[in-house]
This record gives sequence, C-alpha cells and structure tokens, in this order.
Amino acid sequence: MPLIPRMLSLWRNIVHRDRVDRDLDDEVQALFEMLVQEKMRAGLTAADARRLASIQLGQVDALKGNVRDVRAGALISAFFRDVRFGVRLLARSPVFTVFAIASLALGIGATTAIFTLFDAVVLRKLPVPEPDRLVVASFGGPRGRFNHSLPYPHFERIEERNTTLDGLFATYPFGRVTLTVDGKPEIAEGIYVTGDYYRTLRLTPALGRLLGPDDDRPGRAVAVLSHAYWQRRFAGRPAAGGAAVSLNGVPFTVVGVEPEGFAGTEVGRSYDISVPMRALELLSEGKPLWNEAFATWIYMMGRMKPGISISEAEAEMRTIFAQVSLDAARGPGQERLARAHQLRLESAATGSHSDLRVAYERWLRMLLMVLGAVLLLASLNVATLMLSRGDTRQREITTRLALGAGRWQIVRQLLTEALVLAGIAGALGLALASWGSHTLLRIAVPASDRLPIDLVLHYRIVAFTAAVALLTCVLFGLIPAIRATSPRPFLATRQIGGGRRRRLVDRVLVASQVALSLVLLVAAGLFLRTLDNIWALDTGYERDNVLMFSVDARLAGKRGAEVPNTYRQLLETLRGVPGARSVTASVVRPVSDSYYLIDSVRQAGERSFPDDQRIRVAFNIVAPGYFSTLGIPLLAGRDFDHRDSPNAPKVVIVSERMAQHFDGHPVGQRIGSGPDAREVIGVVKDIRYANVKDAPREVLYFPMFQARSLSFWPTFEIRYTGAASDVLRSIREAVSRTDSGLTMFRVRTLEAQTQDSLSRERLLAMLTSYVGGFALLLACIGLYGLMTCRVTQRTAEIGLRMAMGARPATVRWLVIRDATAMVLAGAVAGLLASFGAVRLVETQLFGIAPHDAVALGSATLVLLGAAFAAAFLPARRASRIDPMVALRCE
Amino acid sequence: MSEHRTTLLQGTLDLLILKALAAGELHGLGVSRRIEQITRGTFVVQPGSLFPALHRLEEAGWLTSRWQPSENNRRAKYYELTRAGRRQLGEETAEWNRISLAIARALEA
Repeated sequence: MPLIPRMLSLWRNIVHRDRVDRDLDDEVQALFEMLVQEKMRAGLTAADARRLASIQLGQVDALKGNVRDVRAGALISAFFRDVRFGVRLLARSPVFTVFAIASLALGIGATTAIFTLFDAVVLRKLPVPEPDRLVVASFGGPRGRFNHSLPYPHFERIEERNTTLDGLFATYPFGRVTLTVDGKPEIAEGIYVTGDYYRTLRLTPALGRLLGPDDDRPGRAVAVLSHAYWQRRFAGRPAAGGAAVSLNGVPFTVVGVEPEGFAGTEVGRSYDISVPMRALELLSEGKPLWNEAFATWIYMMGRMKPGISISEAEAEMRTIFAQVSLDAARGPGQERLARAHQLRLESAATGSHSDLRVAYERWLRMLLMVLGAVLLLASLNVATLMLSRGDTRQREITTRLALGAGRWQIVRQLLTEALVLAGIAGALGLALASWGSHTLLRIAVPASDRLPIDLVLHYRIVAFTAAVALLTCVLFGLIPAIRATSPRPFLATRQIGGGRRRRLVDRVLVASQVALSLVLLVAAGLFLRTLDNIWALDTGYERDNVLMFSVDARLAGKRGAEVPNTYRQLLETLRGVPGARSVTASVVRPVSDSYYLIDSVRQAGERSFPDDQRIRVAFNIVAPGYFSTLGIPLLAGRDFDHRDSPNAPKVVIVSERMAQHFDGHPVGQRIGSGPDAREVIGVVKDIRYANVKDAPREVLYFPMFQARSLSFWPTFEIRYTGAASDVLRSIREAVSRTDSGLTMFRVRTLEAQTQDSLSRERLLAMLTSYVGGFALLLACIGLYGLMTCRVTQRTAEIGLRMAMGARPATVRWLVIRDATAMVLAGAVAGLLASFGAVRLVETQLFGIAPHDAVALGSATLVLLGAAFAAAFLPARRASRIDPMVALRCE
Repeated sequence: MSEHRTTLLQGTLDLLILKALAAGELHGLGVSRRIEQITRGTFVVQPGSLFPALHRLEEAGWLTSRWQPSENNRRAKYYELTRAGRRQLGEETAEWNRISLAIARALEA
C-alpha cells in the first residue's frame, strides 16, 4: 500500500477523528435512506421499507465498527480508547488504585535508586572516546596484595620504550589546595597530571585549551579547571580562560576548562583543578621523587593501540618495569623486592581503581537482589488484588465474550489497564528513585561536601525502570486477563468458590510475603541494635558539644616555624570566643577519617623489645589542654604546657595500656633510645583511637608545639555551650582575625563525625528497616485483600450463620482463624530463613549474636501485630454483615 | 438472479469495486448494484462487506470521495477512481488473468 496516502489517512483519522466519525454516520444514514427509497419505489409501505432496509443494512454499530477497524490507525485509537476506559475504571475504585500504585511505585523507585547508584559506582564507563581501550597499572607481590600507586622512574621509562600504547599518563592527586581567585581564597581539590593526560583520554576543552606535553616542564605555572568547578566558582564565565589565580600563594594561569560530564578517572574522587606534574616543584616543599625507584606515589593509566590486547601490553610493560627495578636495586634486599613484584594491567573502561567502588560494590549487588525480590512480591501482590477485582468483573467480561467480543480484544483491554497502572507507578517510581539515590549517596559518603558522583538520570536507568515496570505489568496484568477470559463462562457466572488450586496459590503468596518481611525485619532489628551498641560504647572521651575544624597554615603560604606559631596564635584567639568552654588542637581527631598515625616502640624504660616483639603504637600530636577538653582523665603526671618548648627536653604522654609495658611507674622513665628518646611525663586513660569500633590500643601523645615545624594539618577542638551555629560564627571570625589567608575545612561536630564514621552501619539499618517495613506493608495489603475477597465469597454462609444466631465475635474469629494459619506458616518459615540469612551479615554486627533474642522477638511481634490489624478489618466487616441483605443477594 | 451464495475473497472484492468504478463515479449503494450487474447476479455484496472495503481502498489512495446530491436529491457520498486507482485496476486485472490461466492449465493437465 502506498505510503503517503496511508500516512495522510492516519493523520486524518487521529487528528480529525470526530469529523471522520460524523462523516461515516452521515454516509450510513444516507445509505439507509436510499435503501428505503428504493423499496418504496418497488411498492412497499414506508414501515415495511424501513424494516427491510434495516435488516439489509444489518447491525449498524457492527458495520461502523468494521469500517473503523480497517482504518489506518485503528489500533492506535483502540489503544487510546482502552487507556481512557482503564483510567475511568481505576478512578472508580480509588482504594485499590492507590494501594496498587503506591506499592508498585515504592518497589520500582527503590530498585531504581539502588540501580542508579550501582550504575554510577560500578557500571558506568568513563565519558571519553573508546573507554574500552584504557588500561590502568598496578603492581603486586607474591602474596597477592596490589599497590595502585607506582614509582615515577618506571613511568618515564615505560613512556619512552613502549610500543603497544597509544598514550600513557600519570596522575597524582595532591588533595587540598587554597585556590585564590580575585583575592578570595577557597579550598579546592587539585591533581597533578603528566603531559599526555588529556591527549590519551582524547578530551576536547570546553574553553581555551587543555594541558599538553609542552606544559609538563619545570616552571610552567598553568592550570586547567574541571567543568563543574568552572560552573561553580566562575559561574561559567568565558573570562575564566586566561584568568590569573594562585594556588597556596603561588601564581598560576588558567588556560582552559575540561569538557562537561568528565569528572576525573577515579569514580568517587573528582578534582577541581589540574596542573602539570612538574609543577610539583613549585607547590611542594619536599624533594620531588622523580628518580626514586622504590617510592610509590603516582597512578598510571594508558590507552592501548588498536588491535593490541591487554595481555600483550601487559607483557611488554612488565618487562620494562622489572628492568627499571633491577637497574635501580642496590643490594640483595632491594633486588629481591624487585623480583618479587610484578606489574599488572587491567581494563580501565570504568575508570581507575576506586575506593568507593571497592567499598560498596558487593553491598549494592546484594541490595539489588533483595529489592528485586521485593519488587517481584509487589507485582504478585498487585496481581492478587487484580485477580480478586477480576472476580467482580467476571460477569461483565463473560457477558461481553458471549456477545461476540474477541478474546484478544478483551485481553488487550485488561492489559492496557495494567499498563496504565504500571505507567503511573513507573513515572512515580522514577521520581522517587531520583530523590532516593541522592539521599542514599549522601548517607553512604557523608564526608564529602558535595556528591562525588554525578547521579544523572542516564538513559540506561530510564530503560531499566521502563523494563521493570513493563515486567511487573505483564506479571500482574496478563495472568488475570488470560484467566478471566478463559473459555469457561459457565462456571464463572456461577461464582463457585473460585477453585481450590487458586485458593492455595493465594495463601502461599501471602505466607511467603510474610516470611520475607520477617527476615528483613529481623535483619533490620539486628542492624539497629548494632548501631545502638556502637553508639553506647565507652570511647574513653566525652562526645557531646565538641566542634571540630581544620586549617592548614601552609595553604596560606606559611613556611617553617611560622606554621606552629600560627596555630598557637589561633588557639589563643579561640579561647576568647564566647561559648567556648575549652579549646585545644590535635592532628588526629577523636574520630578520624583522614589521619591514622602508627609507629613502633623498641625501648620502654629499662625494657628492650627486639624487632619481632616491638610494640606497635598509634600516636597523636596534641596541643596543651587536649585531654581536659575531650574529657580524657589524666591518671598520673601532667599535661603538656608552656614548659615543653622546642628547646626543652623532648617529652611524651602515654596511654594506660602503653604504661603497662613499663617496669613500675612510667612517669619519669624514657621511651625509645638515643637522641630521639623522650621522657614520659603523664599517663592518660585508654581511648578508642580514631574509630569508635576499634578496641583500645597503645597510644603515644607528642606535644604539638615542641616541634619546629608541622607537616600534618591540625584539627582544632572546641567544647562549647549554647548553639553550635552561634559558636561557629564566632569561630569563623576568630580564624579570619588570626590570618585572613586561613581557610577552615572539615567543620563538623564530634557527634556528627562519629555518625559519619558509622555510615555503612547506618545505611544498612536504614535500608533494611525501610525495605522490611515495605515488605510488611505489602504482606498486609495482600492479606487484607485476600481476606476481604474471602469474606465476599462467603457472604451467604456468614449471613446464614448470623441468622442462626452466631454472635459478631464468633464471626470475627472465623475470619481471623482463616488468616492465622497463613500468617503462622509464614512466620515460622521466616524465622527459619532468618537463622540462615543472618549468617551473611554476621560480619557487620557488633556486640550481638546473629540469633539475638530481642531482635527476633520484636520483629516477630511487629509482624504479628501488623498481620492481625490487616486481618481484623475484613473480620469486622464480616461481623457487620446484615443477614437479610446477605441471604437476599445471590 | 442466482441464489447461490458464492464466497468472495477480499482481493477479488477490491478488483470488482475498482472495475465497477471504472466507468464513472458511484455512491456506495450504486457500487453494490453495479457489481451485481456486471457479474450477472453472481455476487450481491452486502453493505457490511462493501463499506469497509470502500474505506480501505480510499485510504490506500485508489479512490477519492465527495458528497454530492444523489438521484432523489438527497446527499450521498460518491466514490471515484484516482489515477493510481486506475493503474491498480490494470495491475490487478493482469494478475487475475495470470492466476486464472495458470489454474485453468493445472485443471486440464
């Protein structure tokens, strides 16, 4: 059939449908008139003529229907008609509709939210051309542990000598830097990149140009901004190209901006500004490690030439790598080291090694499976509801079938209803997912000031949601539709019981939902108790009302002795802040996500410890007043004070456990030997160092102001009274008064920081609670629906009983007894399953056993309570049945 | 007029309609009468089959229609062949001849 006329007809039929319909009506009417005229001319009376004519014409509606069916676009208009009909039908039973849409939307939304995270963290490829050709290097020893940072000389040699790569680059994130624009300083994240970084990634600039090999020379102070940072800090102004900025006081020129959508090569760790690798000499104080073959610090990635496989590239790089190591090895020890470690290449299509991914991949996968199961149950739930609704529509459907409607037509219409439900639920679910995944991410990675991952609604996610919605639609739409239109209209109109097999399926469904809910609730209970236990642990210090923030004087351009002097000044100023009860500083926070400092002690007083028995300690560098501010009792001796100046004898304070390694009282004895030995001047109570979950260990405390310089940036801790926001404002003023170049970062209360450190536990508790509650809600809805249906079916029987004198309470019990069997079966199954399931999460628990009685008991109680409530409503309805009405309507 | 109800295939109905309109425009009932006439009463096409076919052919672009006053001064919808329709008539006629020749040969063999 020729295309253009067909298209035109399609257009006309859809857009001018009314006109086309009226035209048809007119035509049929005209035909009828002509037939009548014809017959009257042949001699019949008007009445007879009309009668014969209408017989000849046949069923007018059928005629019009047939014409409509052959029209172009018939299917489409039928579809729209079904959709409208479906919407009207759904609007007529609002309770069912709301329930169905809500449970589907929640299920779809939750699953999509997790999938969004999964996609962003695990699946998504780098937004560069041909990401599958990218590889990342790591190297490891015989025991299988791999190091993702490498020495610089190896990178240089591989760059020179390789034949299998189209490009190779090294990066080194240098973390925090003070980026001053127009005189205003701000903390930014920076990264050093070698000359071929952008060329290998094949990126084109959004503005200006990107760094190239020419820029990777000493003295080149140029930089490139990330797209997100350009939008945020420079408001996307084109003037950013060529802008003069300063990094930690050193002037740089911005030469360009990265393209949109690119956020570095490590998922979860984005940067704001990139500078050439050789600019390290301008920005860093220490000796650059260009020639150190055994110092690992850079990350290396490359792009393979077309046609080269990873194993080929790996073999070549391995040879070069080993050669560099062996050449540089001095002595047998280093030679052994060089031989034992080998380079490894992996595909970097999804970016380089990502800490975020390692931390969360397994959990996301498991969650996805759990949610998949919940979603399946939600669909089956809606299917049950639709089935019971289908019963009431059975008469309508059977009648239509009897009148000659096509089976396929009716199935199509029922399926369209299901599609409407799924469509609305899917759209809602997508919105929920968008909000949910952001919230989840914020909880999962709380330490970042901004989200490290771009949670964009990728087409893959929309496709996933659509697929899920469609699948559930088919599940709960098709089966009832086929069932309802099966060619056994006789039985259906009789409304006999419904079939024993069907009853069993429904009961098993509800029971399995109950079981799943119980497992999830038990898990939720365990995680919540774990959280409680951790929070209630004695950490050795007092957690409440402590504000913490960090500054780095070196970012403000200070060097050498100026650094500790600035901190001392800041301490003094802070003491005057209204609301500050006591003030101190330390390098390692009581709960720390940045520093964890360790060392070994071989001499404690008179006792020596040989190498294999040396005491592994953690240490902290603290200002005077640390222990009193944090509420750590001083058990013996004294705190640091003004006496401990750089010229005075070196001192140290030890923790209780450390004190036990001494013979007798440690105060006055010395730790270590030779010129580095320190005198112990005090003993403090044990604390849980850096992590609330860790057991107490040996800790040494060094005085902050006894050192001539400080290479760590410190945290200031203030115990305050009053409102935190007010105190914070005064603190900010104090900081800028001390030095306007100082920028505060990582501002948090100790309580908030503690919560952040428990993000994994919190996430688990939150998720299992919500998913468990959701599963329970579904189970209750299923139970409610089923019992209501049963009550409706047994209306006559109940009416009879009541007419014979049964009391309302008896009738209620009848219904509840019906439900009890299912719920109990489900509960028992659930309990058994949870014994097995919680083994999976044993490692995440703290302070409780997997079969903790309180968690099991309270979960079961919650479940039984909810199930009872769900069964009670239909029971009450049953007891209110008027026997007269019940017996009459049949 | 033959009482024999011969079943008519859809393709052949299209051919008959096109042929019926070859001589000039007709309204729906007129097409039915003309088919009856040119098949010498073998095929009496009821409105139930005719109208869907007419509309289908119109949508395919082989007929056009317009409202005109009919014999008894009532309005009726008249159909007429388009140029494409005439071409289609020629093609279908040739096709039909080919088929009937082939079948005739098969039956003689």
